[in-house]
Amino acid sequence: MTGLELYESWRRLGAKVICRHEFAKTGLTFSAVMPLPLVVPAAAGLLAAGYFLEDISAMQVQEGFLITYHYDSTAHPGRVAVRALADARGEAPSIASVYQGAEWHEREASDFLGIRFIGNPNPVPLLLPPDFPGRPPLWRAEGARASLAALGLFGQAEVLDPAWEPIVNPPAPAKEEKAEEAKAEKAKKGGAS
Amino acid sequence: MTSLFVNPFHFSTISENPADMLGDFYSNNFEKKRVDPDSMILNLGPQHPSTHGVLRVLAELHGEYVLRAEPVLGYVHRMHDYMGQVKTAAQFLPNTGRVDYLHPVAWNWAYVGAMERLAGLEVPERAEYLRVICCEFNRIASHVMWWGAFVLDLGGVTPILYAFEEREKINDLLQIVTGSRLTLNSMRFGGMGGDVDDRFLRLAREFIPWMRERLKMYDQLVTGNVIFRRRLSGVGPMDEDLCRRYGATGPVLRGAGVAYDTRRAEPYSVYSHFDFDIPVAETNDCLGRYLVRLREIEESLKILEQALAQLPGGPIKHPKAPKATWKAPAGEAYFAVEGARGKIGVQVVSEGGKSPYRVKLRSPGFSNLSLFAEAAEGTLLADALAILGSLDLVIPEIDR
Amino acid sequence: MDINLWSVIKLLVALGAIIALLIANSVVMVWLERKVAGFVQRRPGPYAVGPQGMLQTIADTVKLLSKQIVIPGSSDRFLFLLGPVLCMFPMFIMFLAIPYGPWLTGLEINLGLLLILAFSGLESLAVLVGGWGSNNKYSLIGAARTVSQSVAYEIPLLLAILALAFMTGTLNLTVITEAQTGWFWHWNIFRQPLAFLIFIITCFGETNRAPFDLPEGESELTGGYHTEYSGMGFALFFMAEYTSMMLVSFLAAVLFLGGSSGPIGNGVWWTFLKMGAFMTFMMWVRWTFPRVRFDQLLNINWKWLMPLGLLNLWLTAMAIKVF
Repeated sequence: MTGLELYESWRRLGAKVICRHEFAKTGLTFSAVMPLPLVVPAAAGLLAAGYFLEDISAMQVQEGFLITYHYDSTAHPGRVAVRALADARGEAPSIASVYQGAEWHEREASDFLGIRFIGNPNPVPLLLPPDFPGRPPLWRAEGARASLAALGLFGQAEVLDPAWEPIVNPPAPAKEEKAEEAKAEKAKKGGAS
Repeated sequence: MTSLFVNPFHFSTISENPADMLGDFYSNNFEKKRVDPDSMILNLGPQHPSTHGVLRVLAELHGEYVLRAEPVLGYVHRMHDYMGQVKTAAQFLPNTGRVDYLHPVAWNWAYVGAMERLAGLEVPERAEYLRVICCEFNRIASHVMWWGAFVLDLGGVTPILYAFEEREKINDLLQIVTGSRLTLNSMRFGGMGGDVDDRFLRLAREFIPWMRERLKMYDQLVTGNVIFRRRLSGVGPMDEDLCRRYGATGPVLRGAGVAYDTRRAEPYSVYSHFDFDIPVAETNDCLGRYLVRLREIEESLKILEQALAQLPGGPIKHPKAPKATWKAPAGEAYFAVEGARGKIGVQVVSEGGKSPYRVKLRSPGFSNLSLFAEAAEGTLLADALAILGSLDLVIPEIDR
Repeated sequence: MDINLWSVIKLLVALGAIIALLIANSVVMVWLERKVAGFVQRRPGPYAVGPQGMLQTIADTVKLLSKQIVIPGSSDRFLFLLGPVLCMFPMFIMFLAIPYGPWLTGLEINLGLLLILAFSGLESLAVLVGGWGSNNKYSLIGAARTVSQSVAYEIPLLLAILALAFMTGTLNLTVITEAQTGWFWHWNIFRQPLAFLIFIITCFGETNRAPFDLPEGESELTGGYHTEYSGMGFALFFMAEYTSMMLVSFLAAVLFLGGSSGPIGNGVWWTFLKMGAFMTFMMWVRWTFPRVRFDQLLNINWKWLMPLGLLNLWLTAMAIKVF
């Protein structure tokens, strides 16, 4: 399945935001922000399309935890990312039933960030000792957390869930009108593709 | 004197000291899922001759058959991800060489490449060629070390000492460029830290035909050995589907017959200038993975030959290359390179601060090892260790 | 054999000489093994202690002697200590029956070959006892491997030797040697090449040497049956390995390579030279080949060596009947 077909399948699946990226600048071709429960069917779709899981990268942001699943295909090279935002409780569904290799990546994310992956077949610490004292090492202090909007994760985005509008296209304080225009344009472009 | 007649299969009942009966967290966790009440649980490692460092594998054995295996990681975990987000980009760069001690150049490259991609930095062509030359030399060194260690796993002691000779020559070469021999760190954002001299070029050109002769010796000494071939052919089949489900890349995936190489799939640097093949194996067993790696050495030699011939002049560092105190702009970038063990990926997310917001290292060994539990099921203990060896594990890279 | 004072004194002297020989052999052969390994691996081997590192093994022996013998808390103490002792002591008796030269034999008996084969079975018992008593899982697997390996290897070994006994009509080693006196075409290696081939392969299995070193299986079982042994316990197992190597080398010299006969001046030196050459051959093999897998080892035995041994025996019997 090529990237564009994926794009459509994500839209059908119910993605919140779908983005196109310039590979030379980000190393990604497409990415999508999925509602948390849809991460599993998205993974199943990608497996059927011949993609393999590269890694699961998670980080703490103001809104909670952003979990990024990187996939790539041997037949149609071009990295795609599926993102999901877990709230501050840090719970996410496990995709280990689809991609067995995800078990370790999820356990690593649990070690580093304290995210619980519900349904992981062996949810014990992987890289850190089981009696590791203190908070997960990649947690950040309240004030040091970046907002999702500040990280510039969304390239040319099509926002399908209005709740994500201010995150993907943060209103610039001085030039509000211009931002609105650009937003509309981007949405149009994304829709056309 | 305790009893003369004890059942060695029930170890927990023998000891008079209750403290001896307690396994640790992982062995207890493993024992909970015991599939056969008469099985024996064997703990291989973290100090074991063929776990290549400090990997630990728990195995449930029925006789010598492995019913179930579970690798336990974390014995050389150093939390590079954390160091990446508290140090500045330039400070973290030397860490990348410590991730994988056999192929540090590729890790340098993945991090430097991610930062360059994030900030849109340009690299002079000579620097790109030097990166290719260093990376391919390092790949050969890594593969010959694997070759020796793998035969050592199978009980052949001598080849690893031959492999050290090649590695020594390559280390001498890389020392000229990078100044160090193990945890190399010669790349800079926007170029290279050191240039090659005439001595390097002369020695490098001499090395290529010499290495080709050595490869013939490898074939005569090991590849053609009947015991060796019988130990490996048909052992540990890994098909494309298994590799996909576990995200295995590199020689493991190519050993499954998939011609996937990051150098071709995501062309980076100047690899598109070179003519080289992607070796794949016809059989997806341990022997296939072995032959793929040996042929990869030949392909690396081919790339080196071309790179040394085409090496352009010019600066090795872009005039606008950032200083040590440089801050990466906001954004996200992912950069993947082909390491000796597979696809090395570095994801960098930055909010424009002093240090990156998140640095995620994707190590190929981590994904490759994760399929071991499934691949080792039902094999003999000796075969399980051959499979482990054929994955080419570098534990610090897996634990990071 | 009637028992008188002379025969008892002779036996005691022979035993003393054999003990000295075995210790000297271990010291020299371990050094030689290291030198051979160094030569094969293109490095100097030991060279610091003494001329050409000759005193290295003595230094190692002193180190091993001075080390504490650690007995694991959960081991079977009696069996644990019995293992190394049982491994070393039957060796002395086996060496009594070997004809080193035309007049040099510790114990002249008609069933010398049978004595050696019977006592060599004790060695695998010792390994089993040591491995079992250690109460270590690696040791246990190593011990289990030893037993099935020696069961598998002793049969082809017997079949190969039986063919020789058919030919000479005796189990007396001295007679078998004497039958080969003269130039080398009289040697059994040329009369019984197939038996010699089987003998060589089974030798590696008998002595647990690479490529059949599965009971130790370093890369699989760390140390195999002697994982838990330290100090002299380990040293005895180690000595036993070299001693059994010497035993099969002597057997090869006596049974197949003409014993003490040689081109110039028959004598005890030829036996020792042939023994040394055979041991060096075993070392050369060890440092060259990888290890076979356990099922492959058993397959070699039961599917190849056994039928070949039987065939050889049948051919020998036919040849004796016809000629």
